[in-house]
Formats: sequence, structure tokens, C-alpha cells
Amino acid sequence: MSQPQRVWKGRGCAAGQFEGEAVVSSQPFGFWQGLDPQTGTVIDKRHDLCGTNVKGKAFAFPYGRGSTGTPGIFLEAVRNGCAPAAIVNVKSEPMIIMCALLAEAFFRVSIPIVDSLEGVPHEVLRSGDRVRIDGSTGVVEVLSRA
Amino acid sequence: MYLTDEEQRILNGECGEPQRLALQVLAKLGEACGAERLVEIASAHLVASSYQIAGEAGIEIYSRLVEQGARVKVRTTSDPGSIDFARWREFKTPAEYAARQLRIAELLDQMGVIPTWTCTPYAAFNVPRFGDHLGWSESSAVVFVNSVMGARTNRLAAYVDLCAALTGRVPYFGLHLTENRRGEVLFELTPDLAADFADHYFPALGYLVGQTVGDKIPVIVGLTRATFDQLKAFGAASAASGSVALYHMVGITPEARTLEEACGGRIPAERITVGTREITAVMEQMGGVTDGPVDVVGIGCPHASIDQMRRYAALLAGQRVHPDTELWVCTNVVVEEMARKMGYVEIIERAGAKLMVGTCHNDCPLQAWGFRRLVTDSGKFAYYTPTTVGTQCVFASTEACIRAAVAGRVERS
Repeated sequence: MSQPQRVWKGRGCAAGQFEGEAVVSSQPFGFWQGLDPQTGTVIDKRHDLCGTNVKGKAFAFPYGRGSTGTPGIFLEAVRNGCAPAAIVNVKSEPMIIMCALLAEAFFRVSIPIVDSLEGVPHEVLRSGDRVRIDGSTGVVEVLSRA
Repeated sequence: MYLTDEEQRILNGECGEPQRLALQVLAKLGEACGAERLVEIASAHLVASSYQIAGEAGIEIYSRLVEQGARVKVRTTSDPGSIDFARWREFKTPAEYAARQLRIAELLDQMGVIPTWTCTPYAAFNVPRFGDHLGWSESSAVVFVNSVMGARTNRLAAYVDLCAALTGRVPYFGLHLTENRRGEVLFELTPDLAADFADHYFPALGYLVGQTVGDKIPVIVGLTRATFDQLKAFGAASAASGSVALYHMVGITPEARTLEEACGGRIPAERITVGTREITAVMEQMGGVTDGPVDVVGIGCPHASIDQMRRYAALLAGQRVHPDTELWVCTNVVVEEMARKMGYVEIIERAGAKLMVGTCHNDCPLQAWGFRRLVTDSGKFAYYTPTTVGTQCVFASTEACIRAAVAGRVERS
């Protein structure tokens, strides 16, 4: 197992393990009308990640802009294998936590969610970093920098 | 989290797989949100009833649950669908798309959901009482039943609302607790604005408030009167531009007989003053009027009440909608039936407007129409239609919407 360069402790909001690439934004994100569930590409024209694919990645953004329809898009993406595989927030609102709980219950897919890191996610993480995330302990590790 | 013996039995699978799965989601949500226990609910309302939201994932989930014998345990109603069930061909909905919505309808029916297909179930068939705990989604309905009716629900997500319906429970946190229902941000209307507060200022003020507070609880001071429909329009706008789930209007809503009551005795020091200049600025942002042709006019968001239907009929009597413009009035089947009996539907249709029942511009696939410009009196439409319908949006009063439909264009007056 590779040695982490940096380790941050946060709050585990949804269980699961992840190791892979991070995609990071400093802007809040809404999955409803923000993500194309057929591809995993960000489609919100007002968002700085518009055009970026978050499929299978650890998606870090400050907090969600949550329409109550959010899990509709999120689970459609999960079903198509196009959802992000982990989420890191400054603060995870119930809407995003509900998405992970539903993915686990209805599609048996674990998407770890961590918030309240000691550092601000979009300041301590960079797109392209290799990270390891544990949704139970709330630990986020940077394995290698972009 | 504490579970009762019955809840423990459900979690052990003694009441079947759908209830076990649903209770597991609710218990984990409760733990993540600091709930000590679950609370029994009087009713549920489901937002993933539209194919646009549920998609194929929703059909898969519902199909599996139905196979496992899922039945709702409390009164449960459906939000708008993605088609007008009677007229989808008229609205150019692709047949394949309509078939998927019809499949969802069939599955919800098998689970015992009341097919209201409306965002205003609180106006008929799913009417909460003061203090009732509920498991509702649909942001505009959540904000209405919390604020205007004094019922208690968090903004549940799609499918979590179904978990609530299947078990008759929700985690006891957030707006279910009295101490979390206190007003947090004060908005004070200037006397000149309050004295001359036009009907369409309600959605405009809601839009402004939502944008300002995000998910905090706003308190509005200065208004002395508001109708059912004006409160509906205000709340829907605040829940779209922000995530407002509860607001207080001092002297108007039931948990705000006084400012002290609205704030639970702790009146915030900061006050935001709203005058004519602020209202004008937010209306400009929602969609300022620029001269030009109009492709489609949308009224009845949230779904029109019988009072609104009467008003539309009065404004449309003897008028004719411009041949290059569509005027669609969104409502539900209950109001449609009543309006038909009262002769309003005939007047509205004779003017060349269409009734859009059980759905709306936001929930329906409208790509085939190629609309570029939409005029609406709804703050929620103003927020969403630039993305959902892909149009430029103009926000205007109901009267100005109908004038635009007749003239086929809007003009800065």
C-alpha cells in the first residue's frame, strides 16, 4: 500500500472505501440539472467544472445545491456506472447523504462521503491528485500530487 | 439511534424486504443527521413520480419494490408527472417517453399511491393539520405545509419520501423539532412598499428572500394580508432560488402571530430592509422585460387553484391568444374538473389557451417546440425554465402574462 503524503481527518457521512483520482471545485454543485447521468459529465453552464467528467472519481466541492429531485439524477448516474465514486465536502447537506444511502440500499453501490475536514477540501486537494478516502473513519489521504 | 420494538422487527425483515430497506435508509439518515429516534408521520408526498426525475433508475427501483409486495403505510400522493396524461400528444411528447411515465403511474398505483399528479396536494386529498409530522418532498409543497399550515416536514429527497411512505416514519431531526423552527433572518418591508404590494411582488419577494438566506428560516415583517395563492407563490420562489423549507410572515402564518413568536423569543439583530428598489431589481434579475416576440406563456406554477382559474377566465374572456404564441395553464385534475363545471375551462380554451394537467413546463420534455422565449408570473419557473426548457425567461404579473399571450409579444411599458 502506498504511503500517503498528507492525511486529513474529517467526519464520515457515508461508509465506503475509495482510491483514485480527485476532481476538485471551489463552487457549490447541484446534481439536478448539473450532471449528465448518461456520461458523468458536468453540464451546468454556470459551473467551473462544466465539461469535466466526474465518473468514478472523488468529487470535491464545498456543498450541494440540492433540489429534492437530486437522487433522481444521482441514482440514474449510479445505475449507468457514471456517478462519482466518492464525495468530499466542506459540509454535506442531508440531500447528498441521502443520495449515498439510496445508492447503497437500491443499487448496492457504496459511495463514501466525508465532510468537515481540518482543511478546506478545495484548498488542500487539487484535481488530478491520487487520494484514498474512508467514509467510515472520515480519513482522506493524498497519495500523490497532480 | 433508538428504535422501538416494532421498528427493530421491521429492520430484522419481519415485515418484508421493502420495509426493511426503507427503514434502513431512514435509520442511517437519522444517524448522519443526529436524530435520536424516528417519528410517525400522517402522510407522505412523492417527488420521483415524474419520469424526468425518476428515470430508468426509478422504474427499476419501483419495479423491484412492487415485486416484493411494497405498499404505502400512510396516505401518499404523487407530484406532477412528465406528461399530461390526457393530452400528451398535443404537447408533442414522444410516445416512448409517455410510455415510461405510464409505467411509473402503474407501479405507483400498485403501491397504493393516490395519483394526484400535483405539486399542490395540500389543497385537496392530502391536507395536513397543524403540528402533523410528515414525510414530504417537492420543495414548493414542503415550504407551504411547514409555513402556512404549521405541519412539520424536512425537505426529503426523491425515494427517501417513498421510504417514509412505506414505513410511515421519518427521522426526528431538523424541522420536526420546535427549537429548529425559529426565524433566523429578518426581512422588513418599507412602509411604502408594504402599502402598495402588488400580487406579483409575492413571487419576486420569495425569490429575493431565497437567494439571500439559502436554507435558513426567513421572517417577513410588514405585510398585513396575503391570500392562499400569494403565499404559495412566495414560498415556491423562495424554495427554488434558495432552499427555504419554512418561512414566517408575522401576523399571517400560524407560528408567527408576533415577531417574538416567529423567532422563538430570540429576535435576530440584523434586519434586511426591502423597498421598491430591491423588488424592482430582483424582478429584473428574474427576467426583465425586453421588447420582442413570445413563444410560450406559463401560468399555474405551482398548480393553479380554482380561484386562479376564475381569474384567468375573467382575463381571457373574449380574448384570443396570438397564433404564434402558446399559453399553457398548469393545474391538476381536481381543479380542472371544478373549473370545467364552472365554465372556466370553456372560456380559457375558447381563447386558444391550453390546459396542462398533472404536469407543467418544467416537468415535460418540450425540445420539439423549439421555444426561445417564455413569459411567466412564477418565480419557480423563472428560476428553472432557462435550464429545463432552455428558454430566455421574462417575469411579469399574471395580467401582463395574458396580455403578452394575446399580443404575441412583450413590451416594456
